[in-house]
Amino acid sequence: MDSTGGAAATGRRAVDLGDTEMLEPGTALLIGSETSGHPDDIGLFRTENGDYFALDDECPHEVASLSEGWIEGEEIECPLHSSRFGLRDGKVLCLPATSDARTHRVEVANGRVLLYPGTPA
Amino acid sequence: MSIESILIVGGGLAGFTVAQNLRARGYAGSLQIIDPAGIPYDRPPLSKGYLLGDKDAAAIELAPASWFAEHRIGLVPATVRALALEPLGVELEDGAVLQADRLVLATGGSARPLPIPGGELDSVLVLRDRQDADRLRASIAPGTRLAIVGAGLIGAEVASSALALGAEVTLIDPVETPLVPAVGPELARRLHAMHAGAGITVIHGTPAGITRTGTGHRIELADGRVIECDEVLVGIGITPNTALAEAAGLQTDNGVLVDENQRTSRPGVYAVGDMARTRRPDGTLARRGEHWEHAMNTGATAAAAILAQEPPVHGASWFWSDRHGTHVEGVGDMNADGTTILRIHDGEPVAAFRVAADGTMLGAAALDGGLTIKAARRIIDRGIIVPAEALADPGVPLRKLAR
Ligand SMILES: Cc1cc2nc3c(=O)[nH]c(=O)nc-3n(C[C@H](O)[C@H](O)[C@H](O)COP(=O)(O)OP(=O)(O)OC[C@H]3O[C@@H](n4cnc5c(N)ncnc54)[C@H](O)[C@@H]3O)c2cc1C
Ligand code: FES
Repeated sequence: MDSTGGAAATGRRAVDLGDTEMLEPGTALLIGSETSGHPDDIGLFRTENGDYFALDDECPHEVASLSEGWIEGEEIECPLHSSRFGLRDGKVLCLPATSDARTHRVEVANGRVLLYPGTPA
Repeated sequence: MSIESILIVGGGLAGFTVAQNLRARGYAGSLQIIDPAGIPYDRPPLSKGYLLGDKDAAAIELAPASWFAEHRIGLVPATVRALALEPLGVELEDGAVLQADRLVLATGGSARPLPIPGGELDSVLVLRDRQDADRLRASIAPGTRLAIVGAGLIGAEVASSALALGAEVTLIDPVETPLVPAVGPELARRLHAMHAGAGITVIHGTPAGITRTGTGHRIELADGRVIECDEVLVGIGITPNTALAEAAGLQTDNGVLVDENQRTSRPGVYAVGDMARTRRPDGTLARRGEHWEHAMNTGATAAAAILAQEPPVHGASWFWSDRHGTHVEGVGDMNADGTTILRIHDGEPVAAFRVAADGTMLGAAALDGGLTIKAARRIIDRGIIVPAEALADPGVPLRKLAR
């Protein structure tokens, strides 16, 4: 994985994460700041349909890693108290979390998965 | 007749969920939640993050004040004194009367007092609402000798949090291994052993009396043992708050009886959450649910039923608990007829599955199980048959088996 573009933590910098089969459908991966250059951990999610999405990894409710959660359709269910978030827009869909998860843009181009840390989806 | 006004008595999770779902389902009429507590808040943190000071009052609100304004949900900070049935309405403590086309009862439960001499003392602490948590927090300082009667969910969680706050904790329960009905004996033993492992004095015994001693308390056990402590917290379960319903003549039996759409015996009156108990179509009574998700699910069902819309489908019941850094989850029924299959990791049980003779899963519980219980609940809800060897093998992610 290498970083293309500037060193700024935010903005339109893309990080090339790997080829489009880097994640099995229905699984997720934690992208740490050493890879993304972004201050917070980012969760990269691949739906059963093969689409990629990225959210802040830490659940907005308490301390849990959304990349360890359960992907169902285009939703991620927090591993701890089962709040669900829309993968496309980060919207919180049920309690106990009460705020949305921050999204990060992911593009699939030329067979590569490109993450734009800090750029909303 | 179209519904123009709905009153919800009690703004805990269940009452809040009714209001939220009514608006989400398009109900545009008058909607009010009556609760002296004001803005609805979440209870699980009261024994965990809120007690520890990691979360403040604002952090446990189920929604901010602005959300209620935006959704035109009135919050009436008052206690209901009586229900009126003809016409439907409620009478507040100051005598004011509010009327509505539909009434939802969501009054939750009250901490059950210890039925022994001294159990009624004002100085004996309980934990059900935010005020209780504030009082408990103010009673604990480093070195405080706290005795907790009842090592079920709340007692165990408070024991863990109080220990973290520096208290010297003694945990007393007449049952040798609490929580067996919830998680099965194997995991219950492991969970209970964590208390002593963390430095809590665990006592298997039955309190017979509590007396005040200067600034502290003395608990006498039935076998003559005596525990001297500063503070006593009793966590032996709840009694459902059914007094209003009973006085109004609604059918109750350890809970206000409701059908599968949360309708009480009185047309137009619904009951949800910890205070409601389901009477099945065959007339048998279900066990009263007392967990977080049950409160949310029954609230969602009532909202659909009130609006005569298709009710949501809920799966097997689910709960969690956190103590000593361990996250416990259970789904379904660990007491159902069947056998238990254990998953052992490093010589310790980490998950237990209750399986019927035909191989269907009836219940599951796990400690720090990651996605195990999420998988188990899908296996239960979808009736997937999983081979026993796969269930027992910690190398097989249950997730794969639930797809
Ligand atoms: C400390 C604690 C920790 C918990 N932890 C967990 C957990 O980790 N996991 C889990 O699954 N479950 C947990 N639970 C259980 C869960 O919180 C309850 O099942 C849930 O709160 C029930 O919601 P409810 O709305 O039915 O009742 P409640 O939350 O009790 O709300 C009832 C409301 O009704 C109001 N009310 C009562 N009488 C009147 C009246 N006459 N007029 C007006 N208002 C009235 C009360 O003020 C109260 O706000 C915990 C409970 C507690 C107390
Ligand atoms: S930490 Fe995610 S729902 Fe509680």
